[in-house]
Amino acid sequence: MIVSRKWMARSGAALFAVALLYPFTALFAHIGPWQWDSEVRGPVLSSIRVSLSLTGLAMAIIVAVGTPVAAYIVHCRPRERLLWQAMLLIPILLPPLALGILMTLAFGPYGAIGSALERYGIAMTNSATAFVVTQIYVGMGYYVLGAVAALDAVPVMLQKQAALLGLTPMRVFLRVTLPLAKLGLAVSLSIAWVRAIGEFGAVVVTAYYPSGMPVQLWVNLQSFGLPAVMPLLVVFLAVALPLPWLIHVLAQRQRHA
Amino acid sequence: MLKTRIIKKRRELTVDVSVELAQGNSVGLFGASGAGKSTVLACIAGIEEPDDGYVEVKNLRFFPPSLPLYMRPIGYLTQEPGLFPHLSVSENISFGIPKNQRSRKEHVDWIMTLRDRLQLAPLWNAPAALISGGQARRVSLARMLARRPSLVLLDEPFAGLDRRLVRELIDDLVFWSRSVGFSMIAVDHQAEVLKRLCPQQAIVLEQGRTVQQGTWEELSRTPATPLLASLLAPL
Repeated sequence: MIVSRKWMARSGAALFAVALLYPFTALFAHIGPWQWDSEVRGPVLSSIRVSLSLTGLAMAIIVAVGTPVAAYIVHCRPRERLLWQAMLLIPILLPPLALGILMTLAFGPYGAIGSALERYGIAMTNSATAFVVTQIYVGMGYYVLGAVAALDAVPVMLQKQAALLGLTPMRVFLRVTLPLAKLGLAVSLSIAWVRAIGEFGAVVVTAYYPSGMPVQLWVNLQSFGLPAVMPLLVVFLAVALPLPWLIHVLAQRQRHA
Repeated sequence: MLKTRIIKKRRELTVDVSVELAQGNSVGLFGASGAGKSTVLACIAGIEEPDDGYVEVKNLRFFPPSLPLYMRPIGYLTQEPGLFPHLSVSENISFGIPKNQRSRKEHVDWIMTLRDRLQLAPLWNAPAALISGGQARRVSLARMLARRPSLVLLDEPFAGLDRRLVRELIDDLVFWSRSVGFSMIAVDHQAEVLKRLCPQQAIVLEQGRTVQQGTWEELSRTPATPLLASLLAPL
């Protein structure tokens, strides 16, 4: 009886995995030979550079700004915390295309900030700055909400014990809270990374140039058709997956340590 | 050394307790569960904030206004050892000592003394997350003593331990209180633990109020309430 239950559970899980990965069988679809000539290769490699470097920069800013904000929210009274959570959910809930349109209107040359920055030579549309700012808006909510949960999971009594041992609040955060929450923070960062690097809807409006990988996929589809999309798809998975995957491997190791 | 009056409203009662303690002395807060003993300690430590009253330790005002926890020269031990699981035993013990002082000879000697007296040498480099409950109590005791606090607050730190270990830890605490010279307030609902830890005097709490204060002999001879009499009666 136990064996058959185990077998049923495994079969169910296997069925789920097959359903989840089914769309990727299209990589083997008969669409003709994949196109990887110089006309495709150059822009693709450039889009990889753009995506990795600018998303990396956006993640650094998200961590630098989002972590203190999350630490602040953890110590808020419940009502204020709910307000913050609602605020963070807004950019997550909004359809990406809508977010892109709003950002273009707000930061573009006709918005107050956009026109002011343009006077200093900082373009807030179709520029690296626009790309990074969009990635920040897209990923920040995911990181901060996850970071709040991670910091919240650190026992308050441990932090108070550290304070009673003579540590200032900043030192308590650095020596106790942060080390105990680091795994949760890393997982939150990996989710923000996955969300931002795959972002298309908002980026295509705010920063068509410089093209990141998702926009380049669209360009390849429009210009050359499916044979030029497939290689980029494989490359996309190869460069975007390792970071979040590594974090989950580390999480598993720590759990079994 | 310590002068305090703690007033703290709880859902079912209001705690209103005064304690005065001279340097190097100890007092046991005794009473049934829910009498408000732990609340008094938590308010002195700063884990909770009193609604009213005052706390003064060695002319340093803890409350009001509330002094930040890191500025209170006290040691606080509870039922939970509260070790930092990401650090080793030795790192836990040195945790409260500023880094620039750790290599000083007097500190190194002091830490080594604590290590040997509390039999922590075999665990010294072990991860704190992987030691037993009894060992963890020893480590948290060493961590607290490492800073040489002037006031030690003990909130049932021996709960759940076997009698032999409880005896050892009490003897260690009494030994250190004499050699370091710290004052001590201990909370327990077991009279025999408190008598051994704070043999000089006890304060008895019921429903958040002091009902009797005196030596253990006085409490046994003329208990102020039937509840106290039953708490002091042999099993």
